[in-house]
Amino acid sequence: MTTQETGVDGAFRQQVVEAMTVVLARLLQRTEPITENMGVMDELGLSSTLGLELMLGIEDQLGILINLERMGPAEMATVGDMATYVATHSEPA
Amino acid sequence: MTALEAVSAYVPPVGTPIETLAGPLGLTAMQLKLFQRYHGLKEVGREPGQSLTALLLKATAGLDTLPRWRHRVRYVLYARAMPIVAPYPVNPLREICHTLGLDHVPAFTVTHQSCASGLLAIDVAGRLLAGTEHDGTDDDAPLALILSGEKAFTRDAQMFVDTTIFGEGAAACLVSAFGTRDRLLSYASNVRGEFDSDTGRNDPRLQQEYRPSLAEVMHAALDKAGVTLDDIQVVLPHNVNLVTWQRMCLLLDFPPERVLLENIATNGHVYCADMFINYRTACERGRLSPGDRYLAAAVGAGGGATFSAMVFEH
Repeated sequence: MTTQETGVDGAFRQQVVEAMTVVLARLLQRTEPITENMGVMDELGLSSTLGLELMLGIEDQLGILINLERMGPAEMATVGDMATYVATHSEPA
Repeated sequence: MTALEAVSAYVPPVGTPIETLAGPLGLTAMQLKLFQRYHGLKEVGREPGQSLTALLLKATAGLDTLPRWRHRVRYVLYARAMPIVAPYPVNPLREICHTLGLDHVPAFTVTHQSCASGLLAIDVAGRLLAGTEHDGTDDDAPLALILSGEKAFTRDAQMFVDTTIFGEGAAACLVSAFGTRDRLLSYASNVRGEFDSDTGRNDPRLQQEYRPSLAEVMHAALDKAGVTLDDIQVVLPHNVNLVTWQRMCLLLDFPPERVLLENIATNGHVYCADMFINYRTACERGRLSPGDRYLAAAVGAGGGATFSAMVFEH
């Protein structure tokens, strides 16, 4: 399904992906590339606490506020899933 | 059937903003922001000049029925998260019994299940009372007094790293074995000794299994009570933090507005007393009517982890 079909602002989602990869690389001290289809917990090894730090980092970087109320395991499966969630559940700070 | 006959709670009237604790606790700017932004913490109770004994007595002072029911009290239980709360030979529990005229009553502490020890104390009290002899009249029906609440006296007692900040506060509860008010329908508990976090580290395995394990024990309590989540009017949570309960609601497919979360911002996590304090809030705000079923849930993390849940009928 394309971002247009799901009602996601594709350009904004791309900004989120870029911010996520920067923040993730810093949090995980990772130099290898981070891609959208990577598993956040199982592949990148992100803990719940680091997941929240990731959200704070994205908020700071993009000047947004993310609503976490609907963020369940399915929305945290891959980097791309998280980016889609953030792109559709955030507002300007 | 075990029942709560009376519940009283005390929380310091003026909260301490958590940003003022950042320095003493050594929180980074990121950790402070995480507590404020996602964990939903704003203030916690701190009364540095007040002793533990004084704190707990403020809760017992709210039990209006205690003076006339004193002769019915057969046990005093102190449910607490921290294994040690006072230097030897100071014994706050004995001091409280003396002040309340309960010197003659067996008194003991229930701990080792950390913040889930409050629910354990209700279960223990009910079972002890069920085996206690009495003359069969209402005026002699035995009661147990349960106390909970602690001082945030060490760094470990003030904060669980990246998870919660503890608040001072206290609760007192009178439990009966055959009461009709707030009847205990079921209790389920799962002790997971493998999650030993006494090192102060936040075990990633516990983080991963925390919510599924709590959901499992909540469902076990519901099954034992013969009810479903749909029958539950309100969940009285342990106040670990907001985001944990938001995610619990997603996992359980349960509306967050039916979990009493409003005390997290103002009280923080009040050790074993959250359930009792949240019960008082639910009553005061009209969130419980006669016949309503409610569920109390708690997780104790420390020397192992304990997941517990109780279902009551109001």
